[in-house]
Amino acid sequence: MTLSCHDTAEHIYATGLRNQWHPVVPSSFVAPGALRKVTALGEQWLLFRRADGTLAMLDDRCPHRGAPLSLGKHLGDRVACWYHGVEVTTDGTVCAVPGLPGCNLEGKKLVTSLPVQEAGGAILAYFGDEEHPEPAELTLPGPLTDPGTDAFLCYAEWNVPWRYAVENLLDPMHGAFLHHESHSMYDGDTTAKFRIRETDRGYFFEKTDQRGVNFDWVELCRTGVDWVDLEIPYPPSGGPGGPFGIVGMVCPVDERRCGVFFWRYRRVQDWQRDTWRFLYRTLIEQRHWEVLEQDRVMLEALPADADQRENLYQHDLGVVRLRRLFRADAEAQHH
Amino acid sequence: MPDATWPYLDAHQSRTHEPTPYEDKLAATLEEVFTEDGHELTDVIRGLNARQVHAPDGAPWTEESFRAEMHRLGA
Ligand code: FES
Ligand SMILES: [Fe+2]
Repeated sequence: MTLSCHDTAEHIYATGLRNQWHPVVPSSFVAPGALRKVTALGEQWLLFRRADGTLAMLDDRCPHRGAPLSLGKHLGDRVACWYHGVEVTTDGTVCAVPGLPGCNLEGKKLVTSLPVQEAGGAILAYFGDEEHPEPAELTLPGPLTDPGTDAFLCYAEWNVPWRYAVENLLDPMHGAFLHHESHSMYDGDTTAKFRIRETDRGYFFEKTDQRGVNFDWVELCRTGVDWVDLEIPYPPSGGPGGPFGIVGMVCPVDERRCGVFFWRYRRVQDWQRDTWRFLYRTLIEQRHWEVLEQDRVMLEALPADADQRENLYQHDLGVVRLRRLFRADAEAQHH
Repeated sequence: MPDATWPYLDAHQSRTHEPTPYEDKLAATLEEVFTEDGHELTDVIRGLNARQVHAPDGAPWTEESFRAEMHRLGA
């Protein structure tokens, strides 16, 4: 097994919480019939897709002597290690040892195989530790499953610890400063009072004195996967349909890197949907990208010990609450 | 060991092709129409036709031709 309950709480906090789902990479990164190596929660994994589209995720370690299975050969319904040819099925069972037929490794499930699901164009996997191999119940974000809502996924890889990327989302006030020079966050007050409002799946962190002008509220949702929901108004040039929303998730890659998943969504149908999608592809996606780059540049520039030497104020309550939740989880997950 | 493909940073993930000059013009004009004329379908048709930005066949836009073209470009 790959994720151990004996890891320190510090290691779990640094490399990603266990016993829940996380996004891994976009679905399009693994073509039918392809293998792809990925890093997540500080470990190496192999994504394996059959020709019919069925996806599996295996520990990227051959049960024989540890060679990466991702260097091996895709055999349709199993992978053959390049080193000595041992064959492993998508559920992690050794099905053949070509060098020694009948060897007692055959028939044994020796490789961790993670439960996977695909949603909104992304691969999600359940990362249980030794004591929790069965997948936690997963409720997908409403905006990704609601037929009246249309979403585009934007995925990017940042040299940023995963928790800094999540903290950035629980910090709406940076919108009015970091993103002041942007197509959608130029407006509104640069001072605000915030409050936390608990929900049955997480909490809102929201301005008490402004809504619908800038990045004014965010909801943290813990529904088997951690995600945020937020809304930012489009200028009138964005056409009908009101504000655009973002469902955000972060993949903890390792201690220093993460993958960010942003679904930009809008409640539009019919010609309004088609028009938004046309404008998004032609003009808006580029502008959103420029905003996202502002976040990346700032977060990648934060020192590694940024969260050790801070002086927080009222606007940081959303971040403080988040850390408390994640810390408590990390403590509980280590034994 | 850094992954050979790291980092993935692609500004355009939703496009199937580079926009053509016609698509660029249409998109920019639509933004102008939304800003100056309104968000109703009738505003859009009127705004595009007033700016002489026509359908691909050169004819003035109708509600039907606009819906069909947006469906082609945005579906
Ligand atoms: S290490 Fe994989 S077959 Fe030997
Ligand atoms: Fe931001």
